[in-house]
Amino acid sequence: MIERILLIILFLIGFYGIIAKKNIIKKIFALSILNSSVVILFILEGSKIGTNAPIMEEGVKNVVDPIPQALMLTAIVIGVCITALALAIAFRLYRYTHTFDIDEIHRKLHDEPF
Amino acid sequence: MKKKKYSIFFIFQIVLSLTAVLAVLLPVFFSRVSWPDLARNYLEYNGLKESGARNLVSSIYLGYRAFDTLGETIVLLVAVSGTISIISHSGLSLAKGFGEEKSKKQTYNSISGFNRTELLDVVTGKLGPIVLIFGLYLMLFGHLSPGGGFQGGVVVASGIVFMALGSKTDSSTWLQEAGVLAKIEATGFLFLILASLSGIPGGFGFFGNPLSGTEASPVIYIIILNTIIGLKVGAGIGFMCIAMLGKVE
Repeated sequence: MIERILLIILFLIGFYGIIAKKNIIKKIFALSILNSSVVILFILEGSKIGTNAPIMEEGVKNVVDPIPQALMLTAIVIGVCITALALAIAFRLYRYTHTFDIDEIHRKLHDEPF
Repeated sequence: MKKKKYSIFFIFQIVLSLTAVLAVLLPVFFSRVSWPDLARNYLEYNGLKESGARNLVSSIYLGYRAFDTLGETIVLLVAVSGTISIISHSGLSLAKGFGEEKSKKQTYNSISGFNRTELLDVVTGKLGPIVLIFGLYLMLFGHLSPGGGFQGGVVVASGIVFMALGSKTDSSTWLQEAGVLAKIEATGFLFLILASLSGIPGGFGFFGNPLSGTEASPVIYIIILNTIIGLKVGAGIGFMCIAMLGKVE
């Protein structure tokens, strides 16, 4: 139970960062934290029914569920893609507005259309 | 010094969204339903026999759920091309500080323009080839040990980034050239499609294992797919990182 509480705290940290921080880079970090919390939750839940890694050497019994691990492999790759694209978009916004602050960007894009 | 004041609406917004998130998440995080072990039991007794791979995770993502992997590689391809096009359309490359004008020559040499230390030179330049070999090992032994195409590909990409960071002079190997990496990525995707179609003539369907009826071990198909995916992912992520370092016009 304690690990689930820690994970929900991690998730809420990421969520708070996304909605409350003004800096785009911090928002992207928060997105990454949120992604990690979901990944860790799946791995944790899949490991509840076994003890050994799912590598079937001779005599290995009682392995953990490999399906959440295969799913999270996908989720990690998608997370990397999202982070890279978000950083590229943040860079492009910086090139036009010379700031990372979201309010500042909003004001500049409305005041002086390029 | 005036204390920063938040408006009531902002606090209301935070409280409302946190309540909504908790209402959705708490049942997920605190459910008492035990994890089902049906799929685990099936894979534990039949996975090695059916796919030939000792690593059950790799037998899932290249055998039972290979469609998932195809979609994942497409997402990666789209993300890489999107990142490259966004960076290249925003004018300058990313290196050497943000937004400052620089000449053509500096753009090409931009990696050597960082504040370099001896530590960076020695560690990254010497470690690069070792990391590349480790990535190849992860790729080729993904069916036997922890590892696989995606993990090996990411390690290969970090090896490429190490070699790009560690090149003291402005000479660059072919591994750091954008055209070569882009070609490897595109060719890898082509081979992945061909490998996915290769089971159709034998009647095994899309992403069917063409070796499953023959004498040969079905694990060869998994090794081939692991290698293709590893090269593709390594080239794609390495390309993206080098573009962010400022090596691409």
